[in-house]
Amino acid sequence: MRPFLFSKSSAANQALAKKNHSTQFIAGGTNLVDLMKKHIANPESLVDISSALPNKVENTTKGISIGAMMRNSATANDAIILAKFPLVAKAILAGASPQIRNMASAAGNLLQRTRCPYFYDVTTPCNKRQPGSGCSAINGENRMSAVAGYSEQCVAVHPSDLCVALAALDASVVVNDKDGKTQTIAFQDFHRLPGNTPQKDNNLPANALIRAIEIAANPFAKNNAYVKLRDRDSYAFALVSVAAALHLNGDKIVEARLASGGVAHKPWRWLAAEKYLKGKTANIANFEAAANIAIKDLKPLSHNGFKIPMLKGAIETALKQCLDL
Amino acid sequence: MGFFDETFDLMAPNDRRVEGVAKVTGAGKYAAEYKVDGLCHAVLVGSTIAAGTIKNINVDNAKQVSGILDIVTHLNKPLVPGLADEAKIKEARLGLAIFHTDKIFFKGQPIAMVIAETLEDATYAASLITAEYEKTDAHVDFDAALKKVPLTPAGKERGNIETLNKATQTVEAEYNIKAEVHNPMEMHATIAEWKADDKLKLFDKNQGVNSVQRTFAKLFNIPTDNIEVISEFVGGGFGSGLRVWPHALACIMAAKQVKRPVKLMLTRPQMFYSVGYRPAAWQKIKLGANSDGKFVGIHHQAKNGTSVYENFNEGITRVTRLIYHFDNLKTEAATVPLNLSTPTWMRGPGDCTGDFAIESAIDELSYKLNMDPVALRMKNLALDKHPDNGMPWSTNYINECIEKGAQMIGWKDRKPAHSQTIDGDWSIGYGMAVGAWNAGRGNASAGIQMQKDGAIIVQTAMTDIGTGTGVSMQNIAHEQTGISKSKINIELGNSNLPPAPSQGGSNGLSSIGGAVVAAVSALKLKLAGYAAGQNEAYQNAAPADILLSDSGISLKTPNEQFISYAALWEKNNLDVLEVEASSGPGAERQKYAFCSSAAHFCKLRVNRKTGKVKLERMVTVADGGKIISEKAAANQMSGAAVGGIGMALMEEQQTDERLGTLVGNDFAGYHFPVNSDAPIIEVAFVNKPDPNINPQGSKGLGEVGIIGTAAAIANAIYNATGKRLRDLPITPDKVLLG
Amino acid sequence: MKQEYNFSRRFFLKTSSALGALAFIPKGVKAFYEEVKNFIVPAKEQIPLKVSINKKSYAIKADTRTTLLDLLREDLNLTGAKKGCDHGQCGACTVHVDGQRVLSCLTLAATLPGKEVTTIEGLANGDQLHPMQEAFIACDGFQCGYCTPGQIMSAVACVKEGHTKSIAEIKEFMSGNLCRCGAYNGIVESIQKVAAQ
Repeated sequence: MRPFLFSKSSAANQALAKKNHSTQFIAGGTNLVDLMKKHIANPESLVDISSALPNKVENTTKGISIGAMMRNSATANDAIILAKFPLVAKAILAGASPQIRNMASAAGNLLQRTRCPYFYDVTTPCNKRQPGSGCSAINGENRMSAVAGYSEQCVAVHPSDLCVALAALDASVVVNDKDGKTQTIAFQDFHRLPGNTPQKDNNLPANALIRAIEIAANPFAKNNAYVKLRDRDSYAFALVSVAAALHLNGDKIVEARLASGGVAHKPWRWLAAEKYLKGKTANIANFEAAANIAIKDLKPLSHNGFKIPMLKGAIETALKQCLDL
Repeated sequence: MGFFDETFDLMAPNDRRVEGVAKVTGAGKYAAEYKVDGLCHAVLVGSTIAAGTIKNINVDNAKQVSGILDIVTHLNKPLVPGLADEAKIKEARLGLAIFHTDKIFFKGQPIAMVIAETLEDATYAASLITAEYEKTDAHVDFDAALKKVPLTPAGKERGNIETLNKATQTVEAEYNIKAEVHNPMEMHATIAEWKADDKLKLFDKNQGVNSVQRTFAKLFNIPTDNIEVISEFVGGGFGSGLRVWPHALACIMAAKQVKRPVKLMLTRPQMFYSVGYRPAAWQKIKLGANSDGKFVGIHHQAKNGTSVYENFNEGITRVTRLIYHFDNLKTEAATVPLNLSTPTWMRGPGDCTGDFAIESAIDELSYKLNMDPVALRMKNLALDKHPDNGMPWSTNYINECIEKGAQMIGWKDRKPAHSQTIDGDWSIGYGMAVGAWNAGRGNASAGIQMQKDGAIIVQTAMTDIGTGTGVSMQNIAHEQTGISKSKINIELGNSNLPPAPSQGGSNGLSSIGGAVVAAVSALKLKLAGYAAGQNEAYQNAAPADILLSDSGISLKTPNEQFISYAALWEKNNLDVLEVEASSGPGAERQKYAFCSSAAHFCKLRVNRKTGKVKLERMVTVADGGKIISEKAAANQMSGAAVGGIGMALMEEQQTDERLGTLVGNDFAGYHFPVNSDAPIIEVAFVNKPDPNINPQGSKGLGEVGIIGTAAAIANAIYNATGKRLRDLPITPDKVLLG
Repeated sequence: MKQEYNFSRRFFLKTSSALGALAFIPKGVKAFYEEVKNFIVPAKEQIPLKVSINKKSYAIKADTRTTLLDLLREDLNLTGAKKGCDHGQCGACTVHVDGQRVLSCLTLAATLPGKEVTTIEGLANGDQLHPMQEAFIACDGFQCGYCTPGQIMSAVACVKEGHTKSIAEIKEFMSGNLCRCGAYNGIVESIQKVAAQ
């Protein structure tokens, strides 16, 4: 690691006052410390914000608010989450390991960086790590890379599981900026596609911090599932993952939500498939049709064509699991 | 008492490892964990290119880092006498002449070493070092490079391979296995301290302290005894510690350079190119049988990757000449040089790779013949003699392994045709395969120190990399002496102790067991010698007639003639009684062939929608001769099966030909099984002693646990789905697209 | 090169703060700064820390970069926590912080004041092994022993968390601790044994 100054803030405004472009906030540290060891992140100072932000799940008038400092395992065990948004808990438990989930914060989970192996290897070109150096993955080992939404500049995928569930549930991100102003960013607008600026993962304003994640009340608590495919049974990043949720009236689908990890630079919503399912009967034939719609326009790279049939299978499986089939 | 007596209960449920408390409390010290006064830290800097010449190394920025003691490169290194010129480098056989060349052979090859007061300083400074190179062409893609290398005969052809064309049924197919990396949990590490100009002390991670001692004695041209190597706790090896690797030399050079003790621990990414790996392999098999299932012959061709600076031949076709009778056999091999570091032996070297192809082909043939794969194997096993050298087996119970395994897994429930058992999106199947390994034994020494109270310490230089050498030595010493286990301490892994071979190739216990038996005999004779001074009945007593207990010596006669140790010690004014003895293979090697073997069975489910494979059951039955420590032996077998799951389903070192680099060389990119990948592995042993191999009748188990496991899994995937997958690892994508 | 850019680190830290404080940073200034930064070799930052490990209080001066794992292993001679990857990918460094299992390799020592750290060395009660340590010996839940302290710290937490209802659940909640020897049989058995007590 490059030497850095360290301080701790016990309040958000205090932390924000210290923030500038060479300062980084540290919460759980599970990604940042790793990146600093690799000399991918080289902040000149760190501000520990683990005591500066809310760490509770609270009921609000519209739904719930997950405090930025909620540790992932605490969120997954939270009574409100389990009662109202169990999909969030399922997604969290499919990611990382118990130890990492005990450390990692909710906000940090949103801000974690890609696991593209070239991004992590500072001896190889990577536009996300070093803009303009080139993308090694697009014509290289891109088995784990994107099949949608990528650019010539970057084919990395977002590694989070939690974010897939949050995308499916139309969460929003509450942000505090340096001037003390609060703004709310819709989850779909929070993460970015790489375009020509792959170094930017998200739309968090400069020198701002995430205060909370909000989820509006929804009717998906009963029928939901998270399916994750990976190269081993646990403790691995997704090849593909699917968060599925159904609002049913009898056997009719009132509304469906489908999102995936391992597909793109941001959690990917399958809006056309969701639209197809709306009003349909919840049965295997319709699930298969929806999965086929989802995979229709995907564009695999040289080594990840398998993601197309895998996504199809994972979407079908997740939808069936929503019904306990 | 004796090993072959039925009363000897080696399966004692309270069998606890001698080093158990040290391991569960964290008190046991691994190489990098010793407290040494004045210790500083060395960190290696790797080349960023895969082939070429170093033109310039810029260390200016690194030198500004606080706490930097020195930076070693090929330009300023302390010269190692054994690497002084090209001829000596060749003779040293170290592989990479670290810091003694400006040539780059693979990416990551150390070009500089930072030595600093703290690890943080050294690591940061290392990140600031840059170099300029003159690049040359590099190739790291095995699949692309293998076509350029022709095959040559590997061993003598048997019969006439053309006869294969007359077989009723044949299978002809190619098999590809990606490179695998040992990745023991402990990263290789060394602490080096020069006690004097010609006296060196090393705390080192390796599988054989004497081999380390000899290597560095030669490189520095100093007497072997001037080098002390301590490797009391070794955090896994799997073959990676059988060679002495350049980083250990680098650490010693660093200590010389800064005249202080230095610690060097490889990083996990460095572990992928510093201490060997199982090379990628290509194989082609043509196998034929008559309609009754009798094998007509086999043609086995194999290639494995190696480095451009050393030739490493895996011996992939050796196992082809071990398990079955093939009247007609032809084996060919080649090595494929790549700009990667040199591969090395990894658990079940060669055989593991070769066996996957053979056992997959036999399974495929069984479907063509409409014959049960168990029956097909039973019909062709070479149970009478070693099929290649013709010597009779001392013992070979591979058939019993198969029978027992089939019964344990419920083989009769397997459907002969594939894709017959469906559970929703899942297809369920059974598979099996066998493996064998030439069982060896080396020369080894052991010492015993006895105290007045009858407590003994049994010692050897051999390391225990986790196999249970310590507890097995204790069991053997207990059985041979009759002294309670609580009074038997074991000391291992120190070059000051009686010399022993490296622990590897399933030879560890086979070698050291005999030495412990010999040392006990020496102890008995020495005690009897003193006893004879008090009681002439002890004169000329043979070891077999002498009995020891916790309190004293006696004779195997009606009148026991008991004399307490206390009396012997007082009478002879003894302090600590010391004996040392050696033991090794002998004439039996001219009379018999020796092998360990195992049969692996599994039941698994494959998700047709997602490609996920989930193992439900795994049964492994081994013939390892007499089982000396049942828990440790079973642990070896189940652990090897887990390794086999990794080989079958996930382990793969990826490379990028364009960049001449490894890809994903960490535990996020290279997957081996976590707890939930493995079912509870069911282990059983034939547990019949081999009366000729060594005094305790035990044959090594480390290799056979993994040889054949991958094929059993691939065969079960076929049984479940009808997909014959011949390329490892069988990741979900291959299942889906297969 | 170093002569050319011989600025003090303090200068740059101050400058960068000042730059950051501006609402609008001229692109040229920022680019210049980023370029120059590459040639600055900052001195290490050491801070006084009070940390409590195994109920013992330590007053130390630590490099801000020092992780809990390196603090334990390199400075305090508490080598029970193991370095198996140093990047949060293996679990060998697992310790408890405020009773929760965490990875010490990804925990900066500077974040520890006010927290209680328990390592494998603090698990036994004097000579009396913790039941999980006893179980690991009895069930042979290890081979080489290198991942063992992390496995045991994780196993103790796994039981406390209540993730022991089935073999599958134990396996899933122990999958953050890699064991290359593959001693998973004995690890699961040890946890079942302690959970049943």
